[in-house]
Amino acid sequence: MEMFTFGITQLLMSLTGVVVGIIFGALPGMTATMAIAIFLPLTYAYNLNTSLYLLLGLYVGGISGGLIPAILINIPGTPSSICTGFDGFPMTKRGEGLRALRIGITASLVGGMISLAFLWFFTPPLAKVAINFSAIEKFLIIVFALTIIAALSKGSLVKGIFAGFFGVLISLIGQFADNNKMRMVPDMFKVDLRMGFQLLPVLIGLFALVQIFQEAETGMKEAHQTADLSKQSKKFSFKDFKGQGFNLLRSGIIGTFIGVLPGVGGSAASLLSYSQAKSQSKHPEKFGTGCIDGLVASEGANNGLTGGALIPLLSLGIPGDSTTAVLIGAFMLQGIQVGPLFITNNPIIWKTILLAMGLANILMFIVMFYPIKHIVKVINFPKARIFPVIILLCTVGSYATQNGNMFDVWTMLFFGVLGYIMTKFGFSVPSFLIGFILGRDLEKYFVDSIKGAGGSLSTFFSRPIGNIIWVLIAISLGWAFYDEYRTKKRARLAKEKK
Amino acid sequence: MFRVNYKPSTSHWIFPPIILWVLGILLVIMAIQRLIKCKKQGKPFFAFKNYSFFVANWDKVRLIGSLVLMVLYFPAMNLLGFLPASILFLFLFNVLFVGIEQLASIPVAFKTRKFWSNRDFRSLLNSLIISVVSSTLIWLIFGKLFKITLP
Repeated sequence: MEMFTFGITQLLMSLTGVVVGIIFGALPGMTATMAIAIFLPLTYAYNLNTSLYLLLGLYVGGISGGLIPAILINIPGTPSSICTGFDGFPMTKRGEGLRALRIGITASLVGGMISLAFLWFFTPPLAKVAINFSAIEKFLIIVFALTIIAALSKGSLVKGIFAGFFGVLISLIGQFADNNKMRMVPDMFKVDLRMGFQLLPVLIGLFALVQIFQEAETGMKEAHQTADLSKQSKKFSFKDFKGQGFNLLRSGIIGTFIGVLPGVGGSAASLLSYSQAKSQSKHPEKFGTGCIDGLVASEGANNGLTGGALIPLLSLGIPGDSTTAVLIGAFMLQGIQVGPLFITNNPIIWKTILLAMGLANILMFIVMFYPIKHIVKVINFPKARIFPVIILLCTVGSYATQNGNMFDVWTMLFFGVLGYIMTKFGFSVPSFLIGFILGRDLEKYFVDSIKGAGGSLSTFFSRPIGNIIWVLIAISLGWAFYDEYRTKKRARLAKEKK
Repeated sequence: MFRVNYKPSTSHWIFPPIILWVLGILLVIMAIQRLIKCKKQGKPFFAFKNYSFFVANWDKVRLIGSLVLMVLYFPAMNLLGFLPASILFLFLFNVLFVGIEQLASIPVAFKTRKFWSNRDFRSLLNSLIISVVSSTLIWLIFGKLFKITLP
């Protein structure tokens, strides 16, 4: 009996994913999400099992690569490395850059492995609970995910919710599966939009083109800083981790927990873990001066996020962050439904995911730890030379979505421009994308629920688990409003103090 | 009010109006929030005077240029074919993103007959090499090796 798919091809795919991911993560302005969006079309050439090695490699590599510029030039390569530079950069300044990088890489490996263990143990029981969910609970879970994503996304809460529901509305364009009738489609697009907007061009537009437009707007300025690793005052030793065991474990768990919450993102994991390490430290005054504890906390947490974000994706069908929202595209392209029945129906894919995640973490460590002196050179790659190639890859990927349709390429550009405009007005692009991905399911479960209840909306309050989810929705919204009020009040007070 | 009239033939129009209502309500909430904020700060509701959509000192050439090149690139693939159009536009994107000032080096380089030692002209040659190599590689890897349909 086949347990999982693994061979030399899969090993090479994982290695390619990790290396490319590290490059994307190391370049400020490029993210793991962008890397996965661009490489998704390769899933057409390989089956899902093999593609997952590449995609998860990109995910782990992309998150890990962010530590390089954070430590060396104090610019986080990805938002999840936001706190890495707080202590990593002071270490570089005093000639311990290589040591800081190796500490960060090791902490990343441990954080990734902790989250993998959580993914392994917690996804199947959560899926087992979710199997008993009726259409009502499934509908409410999606509403809950949308509210929590909006609530925890940066900026205004109402704008976050609006972006999510706007994504839902856009996803409804096209034919309704129940009665095969079209809606919200202008006559001239009746053929192209029969099945609505395709996911791949939408997410490539939102995550690659928006970034390119934003960089173009600011003149594609390069970080004109180079790191000098030739003189090292202190070498790395695994003894550096003496007394860091609890910090590592806590950081990995915090990262995993933050990853489970939909839409929170890596920056929150890094910040929360860092602040926890600082508040529980005997020497909080050392944080920010090149303290190993801070570096370990940030890097352990952001890699902990990777496995955590896959838990709601694989058990409930809800992406934990924007990267897993893009990853859901890989499953959709292969016609595989993620959700409560995923593990039962696809045991080989499930085991492949676990193996691919573990392998990606180990390869990340091997690829980064020893040759890090050479890898750091990637931060000197000029963006102006890379972005044209990315535009070409985006075009190829979008065109291939429906085996060669120029409409999808225009769709990519349209959503690139739309996403760019949305960010200008403070609307969350990840909320929009998650709304777009979950929109059709939301409609399906809503219609199925009222169909079974003869059109009565009170059916949404008729089941005990459903009512618990309503309470959770109310709590998440209440907390979000309170948190927004508190943040604004703090900002106002700080302004008045100045 | 708490009932929805479900008919299979019109069921495709049950959910979109609900979402439109939700969006409408959220728009009203956003307008009220802005109204309160403007009132507190003594600012007008519609403040177009000092409003700027773009960041300060935004790069007009790169932003508008990248949009224009994309709009031209997509139909060009149908006209010229994937590889020639990609090489041409990748070169143009490179020139645009690195800096169009380099174009001024062309007449100088030909006049002085110094090509590689002229920094800007060398950058243009690099753009050409990158566009030829990466377009050909993508054509080979995606189109030939993985058999993915190319424009």
